[in-house]
Amino acid sequence: MSRRIKVLFFVLTIASLILSACGQSGDVTPIKVGAIFDLTGATADVGTPYSEGVKGYVEWLNAKGGVEGHPIELISADYAYKVDVAEQLYTQYASEGVVAFMGWGTGDTEALRTKIAEDKLPFMSASYSAALLDMTAAPYNFLVGTSYSDQAIIAVRWAMEDWASKGNTDKPKVALIHHDSPFGQSPVADAQAYAEANGVAFTNLAMPKGATDYVAELAQMQTFGANYVIIQNVSSPAAVLLKDAKSQGSDFQFICLNWCADEILVSLAGDAAEGVIGTIPFAPPSSPVSGHTDPGEFLKTKGASLEAKGLHYSQGWWTMAVMTEGIRRVLKDGKEVNGENIRAALESISNFETGEVTSPITFTANSHRGNNSLTLFKVEGGKWLEVSDFISAD
Amino acid sequence: MISGIFHTTYEKDMALRRTHAQKIRIVIVIVFLLVFPFLANRYALTLANQVGIAVIGAIGLNILVGYTGQISLGQGGFMAVGAYTAGILTARFGMPWWASTIVACFTTALIGTIFGIPSLRLKGLYLAIATLAAQVIILWVVTHWSALTGGVDALVVPDPKLFGIKINTDFNFYWVTWGLVGIVTIAAVNLFRTHFGRAFIAIRDQDIAASVMGVDLFKYKLLAFAVSSFLVGLAGALTAHYRNIVTWERFTVDVSVLYLAMIIIGGLGSVTGSYLGATFMTLLPVLLTNLGRAVKTSFPLIDSILPFVQQAMFGLVIILFLIFEPEGLNKIWKNIKDYFRLWPFSY
Repeated sequence: MSRRIKVLFFVLTIASLILSACGQSGDVTPIKVGAIFDLTGATADVGTPYSEGVKGYVEWLNAKGGVEGHPIELISADYAYKVDVAEQLYTQYASEGVVAFMGWGTGDTEALRTKIAEDKLPFMSASYSAALLDMTAAPYNFLVGTSYSDQAIIAVRWAMEDWASKGNTDKPKVALIHHDSPFGQSPVADAQAYAEANGVAFTNLAMPKGATDYVAELAQMQTFGANYVIIQNVSSPAAVLLKDAKSQGSDFQFICLNWCADEILVSLAGDAAEGVIGTIPFAPPSSPVSGHTDPGEFLKTKGASLEAKGLHYSQGWWTMAVMTEGIRRVLKDGKEVNGENIRAALESISNFETGEVTSPITFTANSHRGNNSLTLFKVEGGKWLEVSDFISAD
Repeated sequence: MISGIFHTTYEKDMALRRTHAQKIRIVIVIVFLLVFPFLANRYALTLANQVGIAVIGAIGLNILVGYTGQISLGQGGFMAVGAYTAGILTARFGMPWWASTIVACFTTALIGTIFGIPSLRLKGLYLAIATLAAQVIILWVVTHWSALTGGVDALVVPDPKLFGIKINTDFNFYWVTWGLVGIVTIAAVNLFRTHFGRAFIAIRDQDIAASVMGVDLFKYKLLAFAVSSFLVGLAGALTAHYRNIVTWERFTVDVSVLYLAMIIIGGLGSVTGSYLGATFMTLLPVLLTNLGRAVKTSFPLIDSILPFVQQAMFGLVIILFLIFEPEGLNKIWKNIKDYFRLWPFSY
């Protein structure tokens, strides 16, 4: 017993020595940005390429000389989608003096939004819930991607146009099937209001967690008489739904919102994914836009490719790019780099071009809704191909 | 030369702190807790508050699982009841934070008692599944009863204030958390010197025998659920006021399992064990993350595999503990004490 204790003490002592020895070396003052990623938790499949995109952008930028001559020091760790770990890491990085923070999912974004407002740290994450657009409740949250509500509205709008273009004179029926969580429910109310205002029959139903098939849900939508089915879920359950629909011979036109409209869906659902429409705020690598050049070339030097990393890589890359633009503007104006100034600088961004990966980003003091439009994509031959210009939700 | 602790009077045997060493240790711990916040930075204070809340939750669960022998997988759900009750009362009805905390404790105790009713018929794994149902039902209600809980959106709780001072800063809340930890500890330790506590232990050891001796199983099992849920609700309410936002994702089934792990690793049926387990399970991942971060600068190549190594380490440490000391950290702590007390003739 005593030997084990000694070993334990020894390990702890060494640990504390290493920790205290790792001081920071100071050349040009780096700009510290904190980040938490999900690399081992429930959403690690998409969280990992997103994190690589954020890190890749910082590495690429620093190799080019940083932002206005200052390197960005990205302090990050895995939080495994655990809210309390997110809080620990956030406080740790905040007390180390980060000036901005990159989050990830709905859980951490919601849990941290009051603290980031207190600490005045601009925050961007991959959670696009429209609730974060409330400027009094979430004054430091910025949405780079099109919000889930806007995506669902665009989906309904496209459904109406598509229905009419097929020679129908009546209105289509739309069902929204979603993850049974706040993330899933997020677009329901706005989509319903929009659909009903346009005379479109609308229903929504939840996809039970951990279900192995969705035959019952498909039958419900059949009974409702749905023509279009919008899916707000992540890729693996969405793929199960698509496969079930194919084997049942259902002829719904499926529309995936951004978390199931990715390469993972195509590889999981295979044939069943053909013809699915996706509302994708960040253009996939299969789309030839200029915004893919830099990440693509950067990855080539690393012996990888953007095609292999997928669209979540460019999502991370360009989210970090928008945050960096805020920091760049603060430095350019010769102001002190702190959260408040970065927020003000971000709010001055108007029509920031991301090389058509997203529609141009605009923030104002009254709205942190980066954009309200996106391009629709369709799975053809196992690839997401562009089928529309930018469609707006307004 | 001492070969063990022997009491010669009943007073000594019944005393809370039986030896001088215990009295000295408790003074050291209290002095440390009083001095700590003045020396610590914000990060350390956040960790201390998280540990404090975990200690309260773990003591609560230990009363049910460790002392009364009723296994529960509903911890996360009961914490959610506490957090949402406190949050809703303060945010919607303007109740002061301390009042809503008290109401939250009683509400959770009531809900806990209701979900404890199956324990009268069910034992062991069957009860575990029944309490797991409590977890699922409570979270379902929380996410779907949007008129009350806000459903989709997180529930924002106004800053708790006392005499005009905002108390949910890390420094101020430390005193609230650890003050309550102190009260809960004294209450829990004394609980098992009363006939209530002894009845709980009798039920755990052999419920039929306890029943024959005159312990009313119906009453005491439900009482154990109530007392346990009361404390778990307190932990939940504190989370709500501390972070001033309540989201359902903080109270998933992972939390239930984590707390169960805390008390198993700490030591079932021991208040000290609850402390050790809560501290260990909260700080081990932190230690691993920081260790990883320190190593990262010297070995950049392992950066990409580090998170997985951390997860594996976490699991490995737990398994090793269970293999080498199934009675938990509390037993290790006892062994350390015995080693020094009985030195040089320990065996």
